[in-house]
Amino acid sequence: MTESGPPREPSGRGADAVWSIIGTLVGGVLAWGGIGWLLDRWLGTSFLVAVGIIVGMAGAFYLIIKRYGGG
Amino acid sequence: MMAATLPLAREGFHAPTIEEFEWPSIVDLHLGGLDLSINRVVLQMFLVALLVWALFFFAFRKPRLVPSGLQNVMEAMVDFIRNQIALEVIGHEGIRFVPYLTTLFAFVFLGNVGGIIPPVFFPLNGRMALPAVMAVCSLLLFISVGVSQQGFRYFLNVLFPPGMPKAIYLLLTPIELISTFVVRPITLAIRLLANMIAGHLILSVFFVAAGYMLTSLNVSTIFGVGALVFAVALIAFELFVAGLQAYVFTILSAVYIAGAMEPEH
Repeated sequence: MTESGPPREPSGRGADAVWSIIGTLVGGVLAWGGIGWLLDRWLGTSFLVAVGIIVGMAGAFYLIIKRYGGG
Repeated sequence: MMAATLPLAREGFHAPTIEEFEWPSIVDLHLGGLDLSINRVVLQMFLVALLVWALFFFAFRKPRLVPSGLQNVMEAMVDFIRNQIALEVIGHEGIRFVPYLTTLFAFVFLGNVGGIIPPVFFPLNGRMALPAVMAVCSLLLFISVGVSQQGFRYFLNVLFPPGMPKAIYLLLTPIELISTFVVRPITLAIRLLANMIAGHLILSVFFVAAGYMLTSLNVSTIFGVGALVFAVALIAFELFVAGLQAYVFTILSAVYIAGAMEPEH
């Protein structure tokens, strides 16, 4: 549980970061994939779910980098 | 139907399936369209709840300054949750969540070890109901902690994380909504459930296979001995998984509570 780097936060936050990153990735895909899927059903198209998943991934990466990538 | 399948069952090896987790009801109970029937799993749940209560009651009924026996064991557990989870993850404020976290840990752990204790041999958390209810408890707890610490600004802080350009909220708010209030409880429950299902199925496969090969009285009897040895080793591994999953469930609940205490920077 201890980190070798400079102590930025309490060491218990290591687990916090890992699970939060996974949760954000899954959340991004689910949220925007879901929006894409709903739009697909509404508009009768079939590509928006894929666009949504990519947008969600991108958003999740942005959020993760902003939150944990600062160093 | 049974008569037709029985001779077949004797001829070949039939691996245990997910039907291992289906139990017939012992007491049929229906109230206003709700199925409240009691089956073996429900009985086990009552027993584990009673056991958790009894363990803490008898351990701390007449606490002694120099603990011994049960008090010693239970004090070690409370100390572990207090120091390694509550203080470590949440900080000093975490002390008031020690009762919840300790009860959660004890209940999840004792529910899990049912999978390897004869004659129970069934992990309570291998059914979705319990992990789901406990995950919802943790969800409601961290939401109420957030609201009590920050008021309704808690939801604003979660959905609109501070320090981002305004236009990006259009992209991020749905992600934060889903990842905080949907993905968290679902992953909490599924992580525990899936570990217990997988462990129980692997154990069942090894014991059924060992029994099948040992009684077949041909060359595979040798492999039966190997399967039996491995099955016994797996019991030790399952004990480790039972503890680990109880720990993970508890520490993640603590992490979510800690996240709700203060707005993110």
